[in-house]
Amino acid sequence: MPDAVVVTEDLKKYFPSRNGPVKAVDGVNLEVFPGEIFGFLGPNGAGKTTTLRILTTLVKADSGAATIAGFDVLREPGDVRRNIGYVGQAGGADRPATGRENLILQGRLYDMTLQQAKERAAELIAALDLTEFADRIAHTYSGGQLRRLDVALGIMHRPKVLFLDEPTTGLDPQNRANLWIQIGKLRDMGVTVFLTTHYLEEADTLSDRLAIMDHGKIVAEGTPTELKKLVAGDTISVGLMDDRKNAAIAALLAQKPYVRDFTVDDCHLRIVVEEGSKVMPELLRLFDQESIEVATITLAVPTLDDVFLKQTGRTLRDTESAGGEQG
Amino acid sequence: MKLLRDIGLLYKRKLMETLRNPIYIVMSMLTPVLYLILFSPLLNKLVGTGGTRSVLDLFVPGLLVIVAFFNGLFVGYGIIDEIRNGVIERFRATPTSRFAILAGPVLRDTTNVLVIVTLFTLVSVPFGFRPDPVGWLVLLVIISMLIITTASFGYALGLILKEEDRLSPIVQGVNLPILLLSGVLLPMELAPTWLQVLAHFNPVYYSVEAARVLCAGTIWDAKVGYAFLFMVPLTVLVVAWATRAVRSVVA
Repeated sequence: MPDAVVVTEDLKKYFPSRNGPVKAVDGVNLEVFPGEIFGFLGPNGAGKTTTLRILTTLVKADSGAATIAGFDVLREPGDVRRNIGYVGQAGGADRPATGRENLILQGRLYDMTLQQAKERAAELIAALDLTEFADRIAHTYSGGQLRRLDVALGIMHRPKVLFLDEPTTGLDPQNRANLWIQIGKLRDMGVTVFLTTHYLEEADTLSDRLAIMDHGKIVAEGTPTELKKLVAGDTISVGLMDDRKNAAIAALLAQKPYVRDFTVDDCHLRIVVEEGSKVMPELLRLFDQESIEVATITLAVPTLDDVFLKQTGRTLRDTESAGGEQG
Repeated sequence: MKLLRDIGLLYKRKLMETLRNPIYIVMSMLTPVLYLILFSPLLNKLVGTGGTRSVLDLFVPGLLVIVAFFNGLFVGYGIIDEIRNGVIERFRATPTSRFAILAGPVLRDTTNVLVIVTLFTLVSVPFGFRPDPVGWLVLLVIISMLIITTASFGYALGLILKEEDRLSPIVQGVNLPILLLSGVLLPMELAPTWLQVLAHFNPVYYSVEAARVLCAGTIWDAKVGYAFLFMVPLTVLVVAWATRAVRSVVA
């Protein structure tokens, strides 16, 4: 495996409060490798944003260490800044200027010449579909348009890692889907992306690998598929035409190595298996051979929320309504 | 050099904002012009009985100083908007010097004030104001220091407080006493001793005193010396403090 581009070691950041220190980041260890989209999933207040701000030199950690592209965030902030792109929760586009002006200034702040900055801006305007509004004042942009400009600003100087903090918060489903496509394009460009989100679907769709964070700690880490395997498995629910063959079915299923668990009652069959999509055709063939008539069949795969539930005892959807403060 | 180039880039960004909305300059002219038309006639009798100096020679130099002060103090509101939109945080994540992030906007404000002060001086001439040209140019230096100081102060407050509701009481709380103790509206010579003593803690007071003698054509005067003596270190201190505020702000 290539050298990690982001490495943290026991990162800690506590904030004082009236009820004693709040452990915003409480011993975070993680590695992000070149070219991957690394998702950081957790409820609001989990410490995702604070971790991101430590990695982007905006906030100093109390203890622990972090390096980006080999540079220490505390001792070599200038080198770190040159190697990262950062799109904060608030975005960062300058509203009284046009998109193109924003991009050119950004490039110039990273020491591009005016000519280089203009060329790169034109390239990104085309690549991220900003053409129709690039020369309008950003005040007039919709939320989705602003977000795309923000992302373009983040990769203007071809950073080694792009940090995106809750990139789709506040966007409607259509704009969210559009931004996912744009973030997917970054993967094709070879940009390493580190993104935080409290949306399950977003973490699941975009991340090559992800870490789930809660109360300042990482509670699980891996590819979305690996993480989902932490929970019981896929569930196949079968509705039968009649219950006459229930005993035979039970005997049949008990023999099959791929069946982890099952229940049969009345006309309803619930089967837990490792990989449902592979097993389902086989099951159907089996039922056919045994002349078992099937009325309905559905497959439920575990979600990241099931993973979160298993690791923390709460669901992300619960915490979402309870949360509110910034992570 | 990167620092100077970045200051230039960030200065240009804010300057474009003003050029796109030149109405701001017109609005800023309104306050001193209203003072000139609606307040200075009140001083006519006062000065007419007391001395030979024309009202405008007494009043306009002070107004020039107070224009710088007003324009600087209220910039905090603008930067709160930029913090909220993540602009400052975005700049902080780039290799740009923290000082440049402050200096760009402050220099834009300085430019604005110098334009306003020049325009207002020109407006006052038909009314009878006749400043000494050399003295007036020296006054621009003092005014520049004052706007750099107050704008940096305003930005630092905005960066630290981050909300308009928290900024307002402080800005208003600073504004009125500084104005009253500056001697702009009426000369501090009219004040009782304790009030005069209090005025000596007000940097704007020294600038106003210096402005009057400078516009009258006296450059080598103790009052001008005091203004520089007070303003130079104050400017350095406030700019350093505001740069620190840039260093730690997050959205």
